[in-house]
Amino acid sequence: MRNCKFEEMIDKYLLNRLTEDEKNTLEEHYFNCPSCFEKIVERDELVAAIKYKGQEIFKDEYVAEAAKGETWWEKVTSFLTPKQWTTAAVSAALIAVIVFGVLPMLKPTAPQFYINEDEVRGSKITLISPIWESETVPSKFEWKKMGEDVEYKIYIYDNGNVVWEQPTVENFIILPENIKKSLASGQKYSWQVKAFSSEGTLISVSSRVEFKVHNPE
Amino acid sequence: MDAIMGKARQKIQLEEIFVKYKPIVTFRVKKSLGAFNPDSEDVANEIITNVIEKIKKGEFRGESSVGTFIYTITSRRIIDYIRQKSKVLKHVPEPASYPAPEEQIENKERAEMIAAAIKKLKPKYREVLYLYYYKDFSREEVAQKLGISPRRVSERVNYSQKLLKKLIKT
Repeated sequence: MRNCKFEEMIDKYLLNRLTEDEKNTLEEHYFNCPSCFEKIVERDELVAAIKYKGQEIFKDEYVAEAAKGETWWEKVTSFLTPKQWTTAAVSAALIAVIVFGVLPMLKPTAPQFYINEDEVRGSKITLISPIWESETVPSKFEWKKMGEDVEYKIYIYDNGNVVWEQPTVENFIILPENIKKSLASGQKYSWQVKAFSSEGTLISVSSRVEFKVHNPE
Repeated sequence: MDAIMGKARQKIQLEEIFVKYKPIVTFRVKKSLGAFNPDSEDVANEIITNVIEKIKKGEFRGESSVGTFIYTITSRRIIDYIRQKSKVLKHVPEPASYPAPEEQIENKERAEMIAAAIKKLKPKYREVLYLYYYKDFSREEVAQKLGISPRRVSERVNYSQKLLKKLIKT
């Protein structure tokens, strides 16, 4: 069957969807093209019959549509066109990225990355004292407070071996007498503080600082 | 003798033109003036008579196709008619309410036949006809609703028409 390029305009013509110019073009065409004119008349009859008898012809479709109704999902999705949905989704994603990705990074505390227990990149605990060689066995160990809800653990090492460890929520600790006594005079020890969040995650580790003990005895 | 033969040939040609173009002119006029406009028939007759006269007088010189020649005369007459009417309507009260949809069909029997045939179609075709022509959705909207391509919508409509033709003939 021969297909005329005007055929595509027929439905739009009958449903009044052509511009004035398109309408004129098609009208002039069907005065010259018997095949298109025949198709227009046929289609016109079909459209007229459907408009006239539609309610009766499509009883089933009515029932199906009424039964199905417009589900909440269709209502929601037809609220916006697909194009608008895309825009909305992109904006939502962007906002999510800003809220969850960018804003936390803007917080004053720098992010912390844990490589292993002793190596933490990010904020460090700053030890306050003793950081110099001590004449006597230091009784108070102090470090800079990191924030609220932080738990600390102090470690005292003898050549890399832990000789004493103690958890605390304060930013200092008083060395108990028995431990004090157990430290040998003239020997080098080192101390270190690790900070944990209230959930128990390691959040920071101080550097190890040496101290020398001179027992008075 | 030649003149008589010429006359006879022209008479046949004019009859052909009348037979071929009368339906087209009538269709065009009814589309513009409304199928139920009582003037439509008169205007269409007037146009086709005018066309025949013009051809007899030799006003058609083959500068365009016969179709375009008749199209131009038809369009001009329609524009004139609408202009006249709108002038008159300024002084005349609005016509009574439009005829109800039930009366807005020219050939009721034909419509009944088509309706009966549509009822016999498969749901696949009926739903396209329903959405496209009855619910007046655009081709793209119908395509979206049914999850098929717009091209497919046209194909289904065209195929429905073929099936209907067969159903009505048998």
